[in-house]
Amino acid sequence: MSRGNFSLTAFLWAVIALLVVYPLSILVLESFRIAESAGWGIHNYLEFFQDTYYLKTFGNTLVLSTLVLLATTLFGIPLSYILARYRQRGKTLFTALILLPIVLPAYAGVFAFIIFFGKFGTLNLLLMDTGIIKAPINFIYGLHGLVFVQSLHLLPFIVLSLSAGFTTIDPSFEEAAEVEGASGFRRFITVTLPLCTPTYLAGAVIVFLWPFTDWLTPMILGQVDFLPSVAYINIAYHFTDVHRKYMGIVAVVVSSFVCIALFLLARRWVERKKYTGLSKGTTSEGRVIEPGAGIKWLSYLYTFFISALVLLIPIVLGLAAFSRRWVFEPFPTYWTLENFRVILLESPLLIRNSFVFSGIALVFGMVFGLPAAYLIVRTRVRGKDALDFVITLMLAFPGIAVGVSYLLGFWKGIPLATHWIIMPLALFARRLPYFLRMAHSSYLQLDVSLEEASEVSGVGKFRTFFYISLPLLIKGVLVGVVMFFIMAFQEISTAIFLYRGGWETLPIGIYLNWHRGMEFGIAAAMAFLMIVITFILLLIISRIGGGVLKAAWGPGGK
Amino acid sequence: MKRRMLTSAIVVMFPIMLLLASFPAEAQDKIGWVGPIYKELSESLTKGFKDYYKKTYNKDITITFLSPGGWPVCVDKVRTWGDKPDADIFLGAGAPAHEVLKKEGRIVPYKPKDWDKIPADLHGMKVKDEAGLWTCFAPWIVTNLYNEKVLKALRLPPPKTWKELLNPIYRGNIVQTLPYASGTVHEVVEILLQGFGEKEGWTYNRLLASQLARFSTGSTDTTHIVSRGEVPIGIAQPQMNAMVARRDGYPVRDLLPDKTILVPEAVALLKNAPNEAVGKIFLDWLFSMEGQKCVLEGGYFTGRTDINFSVWEKEGVTMAKHAKDALGVDNFWDLKVGFIQYDLDLATKRWDQVNRYYEYEIYRKWGELKSSLFLIEEVEGEVNAAKAKKVNVTKAESKIKEARKSFEMDGDYASARLAASQARALLAKP
Repeated sequence: MSRGNFSLTAFLWAVIALLVVYPLSILVLESFRIAESAGWGIHNYLEFFQDTYYLKTFGNTLVLSTLVLLATTLFGIPLSYILARYRQRGKTLFTALILLPIVLPAYAGVFAFIIFFGKFGTLNLLLMDTGIIKAPINFIYGLHGLVFVQSLHLLPFIVLSLSAGFTTIDPSFEEAAEVEGASGFRRFITVTLPLCTPTYLAGAVIVFLWPFTDWLTPMILGQVDFLPSVAYINIAYHFTDVHRKYMGIVAVVVSSFVCIALFLLARRWVERKKYTGLSKGTTSEGRVIEPGAGIKWLSYLYTFFISALVLLIPIVLGLAAFSRRWVFEPFPTYWTLENFRVILLESPLLIRNSFVFSGIALVFGMVFGLPAAYLIVRTRVRGKDALDFVITLMLAFPGIAVGVSYLLGFWKGIPLATHWIIMPLALFARRLPYFLRMAHSSYLQLDVSLEEASEVSGVGKFRTFFYISLPLLIKGVLVGVVMFFIMAFQEISTAIFLYRGGWETLPIGIYLNWHRGMEFGIAAAMAFLMIVITFILLLIISRIGGGVLKAAWGPGGK
Repeated sequence: MKRRMLTSAIVVMFPIMLLLASFPAEAQDKIGWVGPIYKELSESLTKGFKDYYKKTYNKDITITFLSPGGWPVCVDKVRTWGDKPDADIFLGAGAPAHEVLKKEGRIVPYKPKDWDKIPADLHGMKVKDEAGLWTCFAPWIVTNLYNEKVLKALRLPPPKTWKELLNPIYRGNIVQTLPYASGTVHEVVEILLQGFGEKEGWTYNRLLASQLARFSTGSTDTTHIVSRGEVPIGIAQPQMNAMVARRDGYPVRDLLPDKTILVPEAVALLKNAPNEAVGKIFLDWLFSMEGQKCVLEGGYFTGRTDINFSVWEKEGVTMAKHAKDALGVDNFWDLKVGFIQYDLDLATKRWDQVNRYYEYEIYRKWGELKSSLFLIEEVEGEVNAAKAKKVNVTKAESKIKEARKSFEMDGDYASARLAASQARALLAKP
């Protein structure tokens, strides 16, 4: 182990110890406490595993995760292939559109879908007004609605990671397959898709773990028997019954450990095989295909269909934002700019906070994430697996648990929570795995011999990283950066526990206004604003920033 | 290489330092509130108290207001702070929350100047703590909410009493949240237990659960769902919600049910409050006529007994008219409502027990509860049909009665289904 690697490891561990290990171990310790006594023990865990209800919710969550992963994969493969490989007009726009669901706090999307697909939502009212149906159809309340909403929300993760894979795999593999006579479809199934496994799994893990941490969507859709909802109810609602709170924490800890186990399994599977090629995509675009007319139209239709579903969210929220008293009507009838007038008084601060906190978190993320990915993939530093494991732990802990643990850990002992820096720190720690996974999987696809060649030629590790590795990694890293910023921008469940007056972010503003039922218009206006800001942001990056979208997700519009 | 690392570290840290420095230094006079009050009230109070502070002390004051969620979450937040609270005032929530704070020693007594203008209790509900630990500043009554536009479209009359809510015509048209997600819903469960008797109260809660479209995520979610018309009837709503919603043009109305209680939305001074002196100034102001006007303008009713809305209407307080229209009386305390005699001590003592019973026996078994009741209803219909055809149904009838008893009184859903199936079998071969 070189001295450089050693001090790097020490630095990373110090950060992790402070921001992940310390607060989360306090949380885990809490799960061993016995209510109404000063004692400790495993009683809570015994109770958890003996209670059929908890086991049932656990099973339900596993089923939900599987269904969501299946749905996103099925819809995501053609979509990402189209976006990564086909020449298509307006691709930048489509790509940005399909990304939209993840920039919104999950609940904003759910609200839009309830307004549109709900019992007395736009669609049902229209169908009833035209006499097609008599009684409303249940489009959304139930497992089917839950899978639909969560899949649409998570589809971008699969699309992003798969198209990163499609554009970065070495074209020579596919060409070899074609030379050997494999047809397009066969080549796709046997060569292209398997080569994308590392990036796909990076997205798939995020998708699979999501239902274990999203407590609000099931509750809004009237589905209650899912582990995160039960944990949330136990932690947040039972304010006099301390035992219930501990049980909620137990639920969080148990589900986290199961998630981590699944994640490790996935990683082991990836690392057992070799997916690297000597060159990344030979052109900056990767391989681009000009499809036949029929395929082209089908792919257009398909992209359009998914985009239309996604577009429903901003359209419905937009309608709500520019109106008031939208009650029991397919479309609003009372139009006003009042909502925007109100938020212009509040939002400059909220917007600034959102940008500042997410921006600082992003700087932290890059300073920390790149070296971490380097250490984990390229070195044999002892304990690197543990480092990876601990960082990924954050992915499996629901926001509320992180929020609670940060308050427990950083209020009395280390009083970080009294300063606003806790906000970007929490965002950084909570969203770090997203960045790390992307950088990690890009590293896996980069053959080490390129770096070795550089080092053999007498260039130091540091310079090799900047001149050889980074330029080759840039696609994966940029995907990570964009995703990280977006995820930090929409984070609410931890922030809501940590914010103090003056630190509110846009998602917190949305939540607070929604909290007062009648002010939904204002909440919708804020969400609408957030969509617009993020959308502009995505387009600006893709235009000015040297075609970041292009680099990240394959060729742009032309 | 080392120098490069140092440089890049500086490049990274510099903008952070700049940003750190760019946040403004804090003003000298501060006060912090934490609690579950609605945003409209917090804004009204913020504006009013800032004006008052400027006028009286010729100084600006910085007010921070934290509302991380419903009152359970707020109480828990205070608990997490321990003996180093990040606020001075616990603003809002009814008696049970303040009784918890009191029991845990997290609040200290302070009797504001016009403390004696607040009544001590109403039908057993404490309106203020005798020692001055907490005092009600904005009382309201637990009501239900309905959307008149949707009910009209569905051709349903508004349900006037608790019993009427159980009419099958309302099935799937009612929404409520969990008693541990919302203090107001907990109060409703408690009202039903105390108003109908414990056994009958649980029967009622079971039957009401079978009428629900779903459980909402919180009381404000209920308000939201009802005012948008997704589900037309909402259980357990603060009385002023309907007043504010109507003012904003929503077609909703409150239903004062036949049995209900008062909720004394109260305020308390936190122990070890960092700005205790300002906190006391705020409390004095909150109970002054000026402060109470801000409470009303914030969409809540006023707590002082010497306030008449017609007088304030003449003084130009806009909300006074809405309050008078909503309540139908000139003074909040003149309200004639079907109050039950409320046993606060009992309610506080069995708080967790009630929540737990509701969770284990109703919420967790919600699906089973509904399918059992629907089966019983089906078989009851079959028994009646057989009766109409002059078939001898004595045995089946007693069996189905047994099923309903197991369901309603014992909450034994499996036995109820078994008895219902047996009754059906008896119908097939009498």
